[in-house]
Amino acid sequence: MKSAAFDYVKPAAMAELFELLQSHGDDARILAGGQTLLATLNMRLSEPKLVIDITGLQELRGIHQVGDRLFIGALTTHTEIENSALVSQHAPMLTMAAPHIAHRAIRNSGTWGGSIAYGDPAAEWPCCLCAMDGHVHLQSPNGSRKISATDFFIDLYTTALAPDEVVVGADVPLASQADWFAFDELARRHGDYAVAGLAVAASFTGKVAQRVNLAFLGIGTIPWRARRTEALLVGKTLDLATVEIAVASLKAELDPLPDLTHSPETKRHLATVLARRLLSAAHANRSAIAV
Amino acid sequence: MELTGEVVINAARTRVWIALNDPAVLTACIPGCEAVEQVGPLEKTARMLVKVGPVRAKFSGRILMSDVVESERCAMTFEGSGGAAGMARGRSQVELSDEGESTRLHYTVQASVAGKLGLVGGRMIDGAAKQMADQFFNAFQLHLAPAQPDADKLPTESKAPKSAQVQPLVTHSRSEDMTVAGATVTRQPTSKLTDDMEWLRVKWFAMGVLATAIGVWLGAQL
Repeated sequence: MKSAAFDYVKPAAMAELFELLQSHGDDARILAGGQTLLATLNMRLSEPKLVIDITGLQELRGIHQVGDRLFIGALTTHTEIENSALVSQHAPMLTMAAPHIAHRAIRNSGTWGGSIAYGDPAAEWPCCLCAMDGHVHLQSPNGSRKISATDFFIDLYTTALAPDEVVVGADVPLASQADWFAFDELARRHGDYAVAGLAVAASFTGKVAQRVNLAFLGIGTIPWRARRTEALLVGKTLDLATVEIAVASLKAELDPLPDLTHSPETKRHLATVLARRLLSAAHANRSAIAV
Repeated sequence: MELTGEVVINAARTRVWIALNDPAVLTACIPGCEAVEQVGPLEKTARMLVKVGPVRAKFSGRILMSDVVESERCAMTFEGSGGAAGMARGRSQVELSDEGESTRLHYTVQASVAGKLGLVGGRMIDGAAKQMADQFFNAFQLHLAPAQPDADKLPTESKAPKSAQVQPLVTHSRSEDMTVAGATVTRQPTSKLTDDMEWLRVKWFAMGVLATAIGVWLGAQL
């Protein structure tokens, strides 16, 4: 199937983009990598009058270190993040998560900013951002603002993005020696939407956890930070007993939404499988370093 | 997809029933709803623009009510079509009961989606349905609870002409009921019989619209 007819504009400057957004409002859609939008158009689930191709805006590209944070521009593709030496050094969780995003051809096209603006509950980048306490950078004709990722994602496909705003990028804190990251997800086939996924951003002193951020994807309508369980783990060594306490806590804390093939119980179980795996891996890693 | 929920609305049961059957109230409270029209005693049509994520689909649907017990409960079957996007159909049940001064509304919805919506929308149907139901009841609560009945008059009356225009399409006996229902929202009911009829209709309307909305929303969720 082919999309309905639409007008196509490729602005060369941010000002032009804002002008188009202002004059066309909800009739215009922003095209970045097209990972989701093009499929939606071709299935005629959406018929915008105007598609604004922002791939000509160079200021939305690039990965750079700004102070103690790593900024990734909105138009950076999944593949660019996957292959970036800067990312693997300063934000290794993103390097681990990238291969889980769909397939190579899609990763070559889909973008960091597109995934964030779309806010799919099973998407990897929003989940990683919430786990790492990342910030989303937004720009409108009235100026720029930064918002914490956990405040940016509000509800199913609903973000704090205003109608006249665009996502220009997002930043995450630089990883230090004390930090430990992991990302894993369970899908029916590789590249499918994950049934459940978990991003862990932890920091340790020796073998003792100082902070263990747990963000689940595919569980709720937005990335799910398991804050009660996180609080339980602070100041603990993640030995077997502690991990089992965390799993029991997660079973009580997580209230997953079902999909057509997975019940809430299945998803809750899979989430705890991931938690057990990743927390045990964290402990093994820190024990090896501490010895 | 199955959805069960309960809300306590800070208004008397009769008022809730009437509001639920008032196309004007439903049009105002259902997210993205463009119009709700009564086409038969137990049948309504609704048009809405569903906006979920990247999806912008116009849906039109039909709602049929059954098992109507005024001010207490009704069942609704609904069917919505989003053109090329696919369709949604399902069944819903609504029950009202007193909760002190307020009204407890219990609802269940079973819905399925077909077409492209079914292919791509299955993953988030439950989340979308819940989101739509929450939005509806928040708006509905706001409509009924904070305002005095008098305060409700203005917005309700401004929308009343719409439903009045639709009524000529309906058979005479129906249009009488409809007129009564429309009037009841703005004025306190005078007779119990008309009240009951109105309430039943209101409930049916509301349930149908809600069900259609949920179905559509679910379907639209990619």
